[in-house]
Amino acid sequence: MGIVAAPGRNVTEVWQAVAHGTCGLKPLTLFPSPRYGQIPVGEIKQDLIELGAPLRSSRSDKLAWLAARDALRDAKLNPAENADRTGILLGCSVGGSFDSERFLINLMKRGIMRPRPTRFHECASAVDLIADYFGLFGPGLAVATACSSGALAIAAAAELIQTGEADVMLAGGTDSLSRTTWSGFHSLLLVDAAGCRPFDVARSGMSFGEGAAVLVLESEGNAVKRGATIIARLSGWGASCDAHHATQPHPEGAGALAAMQSALRRANLPAAAIDYVNAHGTGTRDNDLAEAKALKQLFGDRVPPFSSTKRIFGHALAASGALEAVVCIEALRRGQLPPNPGFREMDPAIGLAPVTALRAAALTHVMSNSFGFGGNNAALIFSQPDTTPQTRSLRPISVSVIGIGMTGPGKVMRRAIEPPMPPAELPVHACGSLDTSSLTPNQRRRLSRFIQMALLAARRCPSPAANDRVAVALGTGFGAIEEGSILLENWIAKDEREPMPARFPGSVHNAPAAQVAIELGAHQLNSAPTAGEISFEGALWQGWCQLAGDEADCALVGAVDELNKYPLGIGKRWGFWTEKTRPGEGAVVAQIVADRSRRGNGAESQPTTEDPPPHVGGYLARVTSLRLGRYRRPFDTTREVEWITAAVDLTNVAAIFSGAKGWPVLDEYFESIVSALSARAGRTLAHLTYKQDCGEFGAASAFGFAAAVEWVRQNQHSALLYTLSPRGGKAICLLEP
Amino acid sequence: MAISTTELKSAIIASLNLQDITPDKIDDDAPLFGAGLGLDSIDALELVVMLEKNYRIVIKDIEEGRPAFQSVRTLAAFIEAKQAT
Repeated sequence: MGIVAAPGRNVTEVWQAVAHGTCGLKPLTLFPSPRYGQIPVGEIKQDLIELGAPLRSSRSDKLAWLAARDALRDAKLNPAENADRTGILLGCSVGGSFDSERFLINLMKRGIMRPRPTRFHECASAVDLIADYFGLFGPGLAVATACSSGALAIAAAAELIQTGEADVMLAGGTDSLSRTTWSGFHSLLLVDAAGCRPFDVARSGMSFGEGAAVLVLESEGNAVKRGATIIARLSGWGASCDAHHATQPHPEGAGALAAMQSALRRANLPAAAIDYVNAHGTGTRDNDLAEAKALKQLFGDRVPPFSSTKRIFGHALAASGALEAVVCIEALRRGQLPPNPGFREMDPAIGLAPVTALRAAALTHVMSNSFGFGGNNAALIFSQPDTTPQTRSLRPISVSVIGIGMTGPGKVMRRAIEPPMPPAELPVHACGSLDTSSLTPNQRRRLSRFIQMALLAARRCPSPAANDRVAVALGTGFGAIEEGSILLENWIAKDEREPMPARFPGSVHNAPAAQVAIELGAHQLNSAPTAGEISFEGALWQGWCQLAGDEADCALVGAVDELNKYPLGIGKRWGFWTEKTRPGEGAVVAQIVADRSRRGNGAESQPTTEDPPPHVGGYLARVTSLRLGRYRRPFDTTREVEWITAAVDLTNVAAIFSGAKGWPVLDEYFESIVSALSARAGRTLAHLTYKQDCGEFGAASAFGFAAAVEWVRQNQHSALLYTLSPRGGKAICLLEP
Repeated sequence: MAISTTELKSAIIASLNLQDITPDKIDDDAPLFGAGLGLDSIDALELVVMLEKNYRIVIKDIEEGRPAFQSVRTLAAFIEAKQAT
């Protein structure tokens, strides 16, 4: 384990603070905040470079790197020994915002154009940094589901190990303080000026924090083989979605309950086996009440000892699930229950009191809860290493694609880049103004264009069958960049006055998935995976795992990205965008189900941007293989061909859909792979591309997927979707008729 | 000072981005939240911002604003009371 947060730079320091219930909150010094600067916050005061973090990275990246370095040391793991089967999965929601904010402040206040910090803006930036630095070539992915990200990342990493995609995963979460989230939560009146007081009768909000924690998750076989000391087992995990509201939890805690029940099911444990719960316990009136109701429903009148450690760390958003996983594992190791600082008097509406002072207890199984915006919930169960694991395994399945809906691909048009960026014009693939006539008035006035693109794509996809348990995973490269930049421009221009509370919920990257879930009543996993160009494949993989784990009957998987003046202008300045490499935008949502050998010609449900086709009970194509990883640089064609052919039988493959005609640097890699695979197959494989039609952007491979599905349906031959990200990610997806 | 309810309605429409609604379509006594205009808790937060911007009234706890957000009439009365102090 590795951890860095306000109360300490390592596990020992952090546990000291946790055990003593030391409030880690102090006035903010990271950036000036005239309005709220005196409100206490869990800020890391040490210089991260002095702690050893790499210079060229964002603050979130640095935190994650420090935690990853320490986790590798603690686990005595040398990734090079098994690099291809060692990966990384982090939860992150703020990403490089703190550093991008400096860029925009310089531009707006001083007219200085210094875009370098924006290179680390994406949430997956920390994944790329750590994977490159430590040489991890297994799957690399981030999930950006706001405050549940850290826990969801650990759960998803466990699934990568369960499915045999990796032997070892670095898993955790990272988020730094940022002006955008700071002013956003203040605008929602969700911050307690006295510092958070979870579960207390006088609680009036959360406190901010930052930090990172990384666990080394390892299959038992691998740990035993290399003689590692196992410090705990991850025996269960569960995810759910309230599908209720963008920011408020379900008032009865229905989603929180479902996540905990799902984790128990996965672990094959009764509720009575849980000896301690590390609550999400943010200190807001609604969260703590809803969580307490969920605890009472699950445990009846035998609610185990529980506490929230948020006053020690502050709420470190996407990192909090990972920070609290470390707390849970230390509690197990030491046989001690951590206290809940900030609690003085029981709230009669809650009727439960948390642990108030450190005390010894024999602990076998402990649970950690994390909930986030979009009604996104996750629960983890950690157990003593000597327990016999009964974790339910995933079924080997293939999945059928039932239907696909799209917003886009965008038409080629010239777009002016607006101030404060220097004036310029670019050819782009843009969806233009959306036809929102089918949306409700509240959806039209409230939801951002980013969310509307995803919602319209989902509506053009056949609806899931009634009573289906539905999971939603919508990948994104940049996330909600337009809302984020509007909020920040407003913050800078108005000096923190006149915030925009209605826009803030739309700035979280899982907002599209959450709105799709609200519309469809989708209560299973709800995720926003991100990994540059392979973000869609990350979503497909998460949906697949929900079907394989029998946690959902149907999954809506897709990806969405939007054009925004900052990546357009900065990319033009850096020479990325040319007449040939055009930025794009759009959304794709595909419905997948576990392969039930349903067969039909699917003629009526071909991909469409028009009205939704009727559900005909057939399928368009089957996804029979899906792998994620990272490629070595310089690009090694022989090694990559081995990686592909180990997972895919080329006998029936007739075409390869590649991400060529986007980033020019990748074109020769794709060419060399198609040639080498043709040689291996003993015949010429067709090399088909899609970026000439949709443009280059994080979600583009979702359009490649839609094109490949349609090609397979028409030609009744198999096709391989092969995607590379310029930052090192790779994915293959085999589609069969 | 009496508050112009038409002005207040215009401010509400602008701050909440209410489409296809004009001040004369909002009844002084119609509930703003739930059934009436169909507003929700996030709209209440936008009203908090509007009150500070237009009327220099600072609300730090949403519970404080809740009774005032019943209707245009209660909101106008709240503003008048605050401005009188």
